[in-house]
Amino acid sequence: MKKDKLTIQAFSMQHVDFDQEYHLTKDSLSIPDHPLFELDDRLKSLTIKLVDPKDCHFEVNTIMDVIPISTKVLGKIGYGLTNTLTGVNVILTGADETGIQLHEFGSSEGYLDEKIKFGQDGTPDLDDQVILIDAELYQDFEFNRETCEMIFKTVDDYLQPIREELKMLSAREASESFDYFNTKHPGKPKVAIVKEVAGQGAMYDNIVFPKEPSGIDQGISIIDMDNMPILLTANEYRDGAIHALV
Amino acid sequence: MGIGPSTKETTLHHFRDPLVRTVAVDPDIDFQGIIVVGTPQDNYLKTLVGVRTAVMLEAMRANGAIISADGWGNSDVDFMNTMTEIDDRKISVVGLKFIGVQAGFVVNNELTKFVVDINKSSAGIETTVVGENNLSEKDAHQALGLLKLKMRHDGQEVN
Repeated sequence: MKKDKLTIQAFSMQHVDFDQEYHLTKDSLSIPDHPLFELDDRLKSLTIKLVDPKDCHFEVNTIMDVIPISTKVLGKIGYGLTNTLTGVNVILTGADETGIQLHEFGSSEGYLDEKIKFGQDGTPDLDDQVILIDAELYQDFEFNRETCEMIFKTVDDYLQPIREELKMLSAREASESFDYFNTKHPGKPKVAIVKEVAGQGAMYDNIVFPKEPSGIDQGISIIDMDNMPILLTANEYRDGAIHALV
Repeated sequence: MGIGPSTKETTLHHFRDPLVRTVAVDPDIDFQGIIVVGTPQDNYLKTLVGVRTAVMLEAMRANGAIISADGWGNSDVDFMNTMTEIDDRKISVVGLKFIGVQAGFVVNNELTKFVVDINKSSAGIETTVVGENNLSEKDAHQALGLLKLKMRHDGQEVN
């Protein structure tokens, strides 16, 4: 397999609904409205809703992340084949049972339509379906890295069965396919990007090199690397090598 | 201070990163890659990671670098320190960061004029609206254009 080529196949979701089990076709997704595993002792509940961005004037807890759903089919992060879902994204919100919001600096709790600008690179489009996941901790929780990572990991575990089905979809059924290369232009000025990212503690962290694109599992915290610089290729970056925990 | 809701880069933002999308394919440059570096709390480490970043760029024989951050305040020290270390090694460098009216540099030097403000809100503040003040494709083009001019001005030679 060529290590300088990354193919991302997109499957456009037209319909998302709740069902007893996970089920994915080329254009529809069914998910259970609760995780099919036991929650961590610190978590009181994980509430899952399906939301239309055009109709979301209701109150939410602070927005912890917006997560795409992608999976490796062939190769590893940065090369080979990745399948991704378009038309659906996850918004993760969180607080404890008394309403203490889970954030490091500045909270975005409030009416969802007023607290997120849809249609940006980092937010769902207005035409997307949103899987809104709200994590509620028991009170007197310890606000530390372990607690925050546990929440992100729980959501990652909830999404993994979707990825397992996404791996099985046929290339012929993809709505779009993109080939990416680590393009070289010999003789031109050499340029690199330096991305300074958070690495100081709870909700101020980033995970790199997860097993699945934009995943958590097997990823390494930038804090655990003492914030040392690491070099990523353009294709590794495009393939979800970073999961934000900010 | 740290990373507010309106500037924080979500996992989806990294996946569709407009800076990588714009710079990595530009035909006027030979793109090398993305250095991801953290922002430690400890002052000794703050200096160290900035030096290591600059050393890495020098070893890569980089002519230019674009540095971006999604936080402000405390992390400005890391940002300007790293810019200075890169500049000291004769590598042209420009930056991208939220400034607005609220997040002017804690520290100023001759490089701060090469930092593009990614603020989008009319009030120039942390609006607490997710996605509002994120780095956009337009910001990326602006920074890349600025870097091309700076590399020419600095007389960068490709070797």
